Amino acid sequence: MDYEVNGQTIEADEEGYITNLGDWTPELGGVIAVAEEIEMDDERWEVVNFLRDYYDEYQIAPAVRVLIKALKKTMGPEKGNNKYMYELFPYGPAKQACKIAGLPKPTGCV
Amino acid sequence: MSTQLKSGAKSEIAIAKFVEHTDAEVASFFEACVHCGECAQACHFHLNTDDPKYTPIYKLKPMERAYKRHKAPFSTLKRALGLAPSEVTEDELREWEPLVYDACNMCGRCTLVCPMGLDIAGTIRKMREGFAAAGFVPEGLLSAAEYVKKTTSPMGVTIKALKAQIKHQEKATGIKIEIDLKGADYMATFSSMEIMGYPEVLGAYAKLFKRAGLTWTISSVAYEATNVGVQIGSGALAKEILSRVVDAAEDLGVKAVISPECGHAYGAIRWAGPNLMGRQLKFEVVHIIEVLDRLRREGRIPAGEKDSRRMTLHDPCQIVRRGGLLKEPRSLMDDSCSDFVEMKGAGVTNFCCGGGGGVSANPRAEDLKLAAFNSKAGQLNAIEGLEAVIVPCGNCRAVFEDGLDDQEMNLEVIGLSELVAETLK
Repeated sequence: MDYEVNGQTIEADEEGYITNLGDWTPELGGVIAVAEEIEMDDERWEVVNFLRDYYDEYQIAPAVRVLIKALKKTMGPEKGNNKYMYELFPYGPAKQACKIAGLPKPTGCV
Repeated sequence: MSTQLKSGAKSEIAIAKFVEHTDAEVASFFEACVHCGECAQACHFHLNTDDPKYTPIYKLKPMERAYKRHKAPFSTLKRALGLAPSEVTEDELREWEPLVYDACNMCGRCTLVCPMGLDIAGTIRKMREGFAAAGFVPEGLLSAAEYVKKTTSPMGVTIKALKAQIKHQEKATGIKIEIDLKGADYMATFSSMEIMGYPEVLGAYAKLFKRAGLTWTISSVAYEATNVGVQIGSGALAKEILSRVVDAAEDLGVKAVISPECGHAYGAIRWAGPNLMGRQLKFEVVHIIEVLDRLRREGRIPAGEKDSRRMTLHDPCQIVRRGGLLKEPRSLMDDSCSDFVEMKGAGVTNFCCGGGGGVSANPRAEDLKLAAFNSKAGQLNAIEGLEAVIVPCGNCRAVFEDGLDDQEMNLEVIGLSELVAETLK
């Protein structure tokens, strides 16, 4: 499921996660969001940007539980909770937000 | 036709593994079951769904049939006379896969209540060898295994991520955390969930061990304690994962390896360790709860002011029921908390959180996991004025947080090492 940005084709896997993480631009993030049927606004970009920073520091696409805990730490409990995150990304906050942020698919825990 | 052959080959592989793993002990289980149904009444998956297919002994049916057809006394004769049970088919394996992986935490509550002494949980572990070999494994566990191959961690936690967390904790506590310190007393291992979800545990160790005056370290190549091989049911993979920890501990020459607040990781190294490696380990394996209990009794980490909140304690199955650490966490709780209330059914008979045995790594099982948590929610709700629950397992802890959210319950979930560190004198 590749994406088209400015006439360029960006390669992605069958679930829509981009293959080369270096391909990401905010513009591409917007295109992925459209494919996910997500309308991006400041709140959603805040989460996506948080994920970009998180990935930069830890090189991990966090599982939803980990993401929410990390968000709670930096943004407080009003934003770092399940309900808020599912409102923003109804098909799974970690999965959808990671995809839009150009990160790999997040994993759960063992 | 070719797909027919291929599918037959899959069930053949599974059947061969079932037969191989039906040792004398397991064979005696299959012969001894009296169909009393006690195990159904012990299983939180059955109790919360009322679906008879979740009866623990029923989950073992394909393995039992393979045994009765191929290995049981007179099975050759019975087969010749057409009296043996039919061959297990690929469709049945597909049907049983969710029973074996999604609806079993290998928590061992069924094993505990069985009047005939059948270790159903331990046999599920062996039965998974057949499912794994034939390729009937949930996607979540396969992807965890792939991450383990790439990064040693089922969540993809690299040394870079660990070092970043260590740096944060060093800053928070003002204590240096040594990586790869040769000759240290202890080498600590962690679960990925702890490193990424509950990194405060690193700071808690630093604080407690500094106070106790002992040296400890984290290996840069063997920080991960969890073992997805145990959960998938692959002895070979389990050994490969464990070898990393064993080699690192022996290279560093540490006296002991600390198994973290994680359930299956403890069993994987403490009980299965020497068997997987085929030799004695050259170091002691201790659970962090044991370490803290010892240090407390030696007076090296004296208890200070107690936390006054009303708290209860969850018993992670692999640490308490299957691991034997029943008194130690309670003694630490008594020292750290002035209003410690046991939940009904606490101790060896306690309910599992619902996420053990690989279930929480398997998104397909999410609804079942949350249904199973009902039993735990009931225990917690029965304690009036409860403010916090101590959960000494990173995986249980994440499951609690999911379950509490799902039930719209407001309760703080805390690790035991963190509580002990916070109430240190």
